[in-house]
Amino acid sequence: MNQFVPPEIDWAALSPVLIVLGLAVVGVLVEAFVPMRARRATQVVLAVVGVGAALVAVAWRWVVVQDEGPTAVVAGALREDAPALLAQAILLVCAFVGLLVIADRSSGEDAFAPAAAAIPGSAYEAEARKAGLAQTEVFPLTMFAVGGMLVFPAAADLLTLFIALEVLSLPLYLLAGLARRRRLLSQEASLKYFLLGAFSSAFFLMGIALLYGYSGSVRFDELATAVPATSGLDGMLLAGVLLVIVGLLFKVGAVPFHSWVPDVYQGAPTPITGFMAACTKIAAFAALLRFVYVVVPGLQWDLTVALWVIAILTMIVGTVLAVVQTDMKRMLAYSSVAHAGFLLLGVIALVPSGISSVLFYLLAYGLATVGAFGLLTLVRERDADGNVTGEALHLSQWAGLGRRHPVLAVCFTLFLISFAGIPLTGGFIGKFLVFGAAIEGGAWPLVVIAVLASAAAAFFYVRVIVLMFFTEPAGTDADPGTTVVRTEGLTAVAVVVCAIGTVLLGVLPGPILDLTASATKFML
Amino acid sequence: MDTLNLAWLLVAIPLVSSAVLLLLGRGSDAWGHWLGVLASAASAVLAIVILVQLLGLGADDRTANVHLFDWIPAGDLTVSAGLLVDPLSVTFAILITFVGTLIHIYAVAYMSHDVDRRRFFAYLNLFIAAMLVLVLADSYALLFLGWEGVGLASYLLIGFWNQNTEYAVAAKKAFVMNRVGDMGMLVAMMAMFATFGAVDFDTVFGAADGAGEGAMTLIGLMLVLAACGKSAQFPLQAWLGDAMAGPTPVSALIHAATMVTAGVYLIVRSGPIFEQTPTAQLVAAIVGAVTLLFGAIVGCAKDDIKKVLAASTMSQIGYMMLAAGLGPIGYAFAIFHLITHGFFKAGMFLGAGSVMHGMGDEVNMRGFGNLSRYMKVTWITFMAGWLAIIGIPPFSGFWSKDKIIESAFVGEGWQPWVFGTVALVGAGITAFYMSRLFFMTFHGKARWNDGKNDLPGPERTPHESPALMTVPMIVLAIGAIGLGGLLTIGDSFVTWLEPVTGHVEHHEPVLPIPVIMVTTIVLVLLGAGLAWRQYAASAVPVAPPTGSVLTRAARADLYQDAVNEGVFMRPGQHLTRTLVYTDTAVVDGAVNGLGSGTLGWGERLRRLQNGFVRSYAAVMLIGVIGALVVVLASRV
Amino acid sequence: MSLVNYLVLSGILFSIGSIAVLTRRNAIIAFMGVELMLNAANLTLVTFGRLHGDLHGQVIAFFVMVVAAAEVVIGLAIIVSIFRTRGSASIDDANLLKS
Repeated sequence: MNQFVPPEIDWAALSPVLIVLGLAVVGVLVEAFVPMRARRATQVVLAVVGVGAALVAVAWRWVVVQDEGPTAVVAGALREDAPALLAQAILLVCAFVGLLVIADRSSGEDAFAPAAAAIPGSAYEAEARKAGLAQTEVFPLTMFAVGGMLVFPAAADLLTLFIALEVLSLPLYLLAGLARRRRLLSQEASLKYFLLGAFSSAFFLMGIALLYGYSGSVRFDELATAVPATSGLDGMLLAGVLLVIVGLLFKVGAVPFHSWVPDVYQGAPTPITGFMAACTKIAAFAALLRFVYVVVPGLQWDLTVALWVIAILTMIVGTVLAVVQTDMKRMLAYSSVAHAGFLLLGVIALVPSGISSVLFYLLAYGLATVGAFGLLTLVRERDADGNVTGEALHLSQWAGLGRRHPVLAVCFTLFLISFAGIPLTGGFIGKFLVFGAAIEGGAWPLVVIAVLASAAAAFFYVRVIVLMFFTEPAGTDADPGTTVVRTEGLTAVAVVVCAIGTVLLGVLPGPILDLTASATKFML
Repeated sequence: MDTLNLAWLLVAIPLVSSAVLLLLGRGSDAWGHWLGVLASAASAVLAIVILVQLLGLGADDRTANVHLFDWIPAGDLTVSAGLLVDPLSVTFAILITFVGTLIHIYAVAYMSHDVDRRRFFAYLNLFIAAMLVLVLADSYALLFLGWEGVGLASYLLIGFWNQNTEYAVAAKKAFVMNRVGDMGMLVAMMAMFATFGAVDFDTVFGAADGAGEGAMTLIGLMLVLAACGKSAQFPLQAWLGDAMAGPTPVSALIHAATMVTAGVYLIVRSGPIFEQTPTAQLVAAIVGAVTLLFGAIVGCAKDDIKKVLAASTMSQIGYMMLAAGLGPIGYAFAIFHLITHGFFKAGMFLGAGSVMHGMGDEVNMRGFGNLSRYMKVTWITFMAGWLAIIGIPPFSGFWSKDKIIESAFVGEGWQPWVFGTVALVGAGITAFYMSRLFFMTFHGKARWNDGKNDLPGPERTPHESPALMTVPMIVLAIGAIGLGGLLTIGDSFVTWLEPVTGHVEHHEPVLPIPVIMVTTIVLVLLGAGLAWRQYAASAVPVAPPTGSVLTRAARADLYQDAVNEGVFMRPGQHLTRTLVYTDTAVVDGAVNGLGSGTLGWGERLRRLQNGFVRSYAAVMLIGVIGALVVVLASRV
Repeated sequence: MSLVNYLVLSGILFSIGSIAVLTRRNAIIAFMGVELMLNAANLTLVTFGRLHGDLHGQVIAFFVMVVAAAEVVIGLAIIVSIFRTRGSASIDDANLLKS
């Protein structure tokens, strides 16, 4: 009988993940043991401190990896290399600002249902609201999701990838159902996300099974060496690779796996939508980059057609459907589908600058997204008695917002301009870099379509800007239909950070470009 | 302590002060102006410290490159932002900050009645910061940033009292004419990038002698165009007169001492480029010569005291441009005259402001007269400036202008004769119109209502200005008196600039130097005497007499506005109309077509998103199967 | 007994699972279809493990079972909350978010 040799585990390298997951577990214990009054404050502090400490840990690991080179961690299940650490850092930054928006409250109410288990419209729910209950499990759930997202880009074998995928998805399925108002929509969004997510995970798993069958291993490095070698069975290989990519594309929101995106983004509570839209994309794209750049190069001639078609469809469908939307969250959801299409260009390019350009674009997009959705939480409807109710999400309700609330309108304009890719914002630099990488990789027809799509996309972004600044507001000054609430300030901080980040990335991209330029190679 | 590396503070301090004053708004109205003065003074002190440090180094070591940050990494073009601290840039830095601080102090009193005083100081500080970026930049890209910055500050300051539409229009005119020059700058930079692959000074100057003459001539001509725009030289000179609409401290600082000299700085700094292209040098010299006469003629007929000073600025910069166009022999003298001009012209502008302050903001000299009795300090300081500008030894203007006239007479063929004669004649006319200004304002009989005589018009009570205004004037007057002589001793100034301009052997002018000097002084005394006879000894009519054709033409700025309108504006408007039509028909048509196409497809596609999970799952499954089919079928 | 039969079986199970997701209206049955797909993949993994002669496939299948169990927890919680709200578990009734 062989001696069982436990693997060497470099705990220091795992520190970011351990911090986040550890504090998530502590959060669950807080739910059980801390008295109700102190619970919220404790959870918020734990979550914010956790993400902040993880960011510091990632920075520390970055310095270590720059000195000593990339390493395989946990017996090869994870890779600690520059792209992984950079993706984790970007993720944690966006998660931090996303958490600030999640944690914010206006007039004592946050964006989440006071008692998630209560039936919407029932007496129990009304009593829970009056008693000022709060569903503070949101925070440990978010931390679990962040933990999964941290592992996702670093995963170096398909099993770890699958588990990370599930760890990041399951809390998100729940979080999508926790909205305070419009609870029917929220529960429906949760159901749709869950069913479609489970469906795509099943495809993903089948892909893993096929790849295991083809090569006898689920590790990326062994897959990469097996790819050019064996022939004859490559139907199984191709099918397996494609199914794995499909699973990742679902998370990213690429057409034709995008159907969940508008419904879930619209139904989920807005802070969660912001968090999801930014962080899930970052984690999923980082993982997709690793898989495609490590495993696919040997196969690229076979997969090119399919990937090109998917990228083109994503860009076009995202843009075209966004143009006809009248709901703000739905419009931003389709716009994020379009952005996924642009990002796919960097993935398809298969050149080293593709990795750095995609990471930069993700940072710019992530900051603008969290900021934009954060601002959406502030714009509310007012009913006839002057009570502030839910969010004002119809486009017409945003008319004239620039006159009454200029600061908010200007910040929102900044984020929209970044989405549109207009110079002096991070979005422009990101698009420029990704398109450059795509041309370098020989995909210039895709770039042409991307530029056309960007031009068409500018329409619906500018439409909002025109609506805010150049249209007469509905209602009178005494009785405006739409109002902007004051919150405890966390959202304002998050929006300011995102706005400054967006402008800095556009005007002085130098330092971040240097950082991403050192992340151009995946460790096998 | 190595202060050279702190050169960025020269820019940072006024910039931060400007931002603070703008952001704090009304809250800083009580103390904002003092912050502005302090920021400018801090920069001045730092500039002097840097000068002292440079003086301590040997002549070959007097260049420091201070790298700031990498600015534009765009493929092959890497532009890094850095500062070049060398004798030329430090000279300018001292001029800008020292004269600037004096004018800041002056403005505290001059603008004391203005409610927007704090905003004025914010713009002044912004201007100082931008001008310092311009002269300290180590690449054309960063220089252009400062170039645009001073243009912006100038626009904001000319139109400061923009409640008056005329002033706002003047500001717009200045800005638009400067844009034409800026276009020249951009084309020059593009040509530089195409030829050398970079736009920083080290690369461009190092490779200048290897490049083709055609490229160099293009760059040189475009740089001259840019200089014409910023320095109000012919043909882009029409904005300077109108720019006098701004408050007098603005005219003193920007339109006399500093911004308008940026063009001269550009040409001198680009010396290595101009070395390679005699054509562009000749064009620069011709432009300078034409402008110096143009300004002199216009100055003879204007009655607005500020507009005369503006015309004189135009003319003096013409001298500097002429000297710069003469090549290495003229560079040092152009800068020398620039420095002395900065002092005496700023001093005279401040004096004009003092006169306006005492005479209830009246600017028409026909309403002045005999003010030397009532405003002694102003009179004396203005006299110092006047004697300096007309070139009476031993005042500073004599030393600098004389050297330029001598250099104009150096060369072969027709050039020294034409340029030299123009410079001489210009000196004479300068003496005439500046003396005219001086005598009309301070001497002769009073032509204003002092409550006791029977003259029409509002009652005036001219009085000396407060100390905050007179002390800067005194300091500038001291500079106007002594600076020229001081810097000529031992050719110290020329030697100081040699690391930048290169060492030049002394050339003999075609006329002997004593002849030139004597002729100049004779012409100057003639001009001054003529002016004395006409404006001090005899009565000056209060209503302007009809005058000859030339006088009428000069009063109308030699019809410069009509020319601009006919040659540029109307054809420009036609061109714009054509372009707008094309834009609407072709470009907008394409974009709108794209838009409606998108909408059409959007309506059709949205029916796929019908809200049923099962249909979404079906779409996903079809997608997967489709992709599988494509992938598996495409493999051979 | 060829191992390919197991692969064919797992393929059939996978298809049945997908069809269940696509055609059944009851949320619980649709979710059962997903579980069926996951188990089909498990079968594939174990079969390939046997084919390659090592235990990796079985180990991975264990992990998948754990994950599937967690997914069931979440999924049933969501389905139950929908059921309590609407009184029916039909996924077609959840069609408020569209176009």
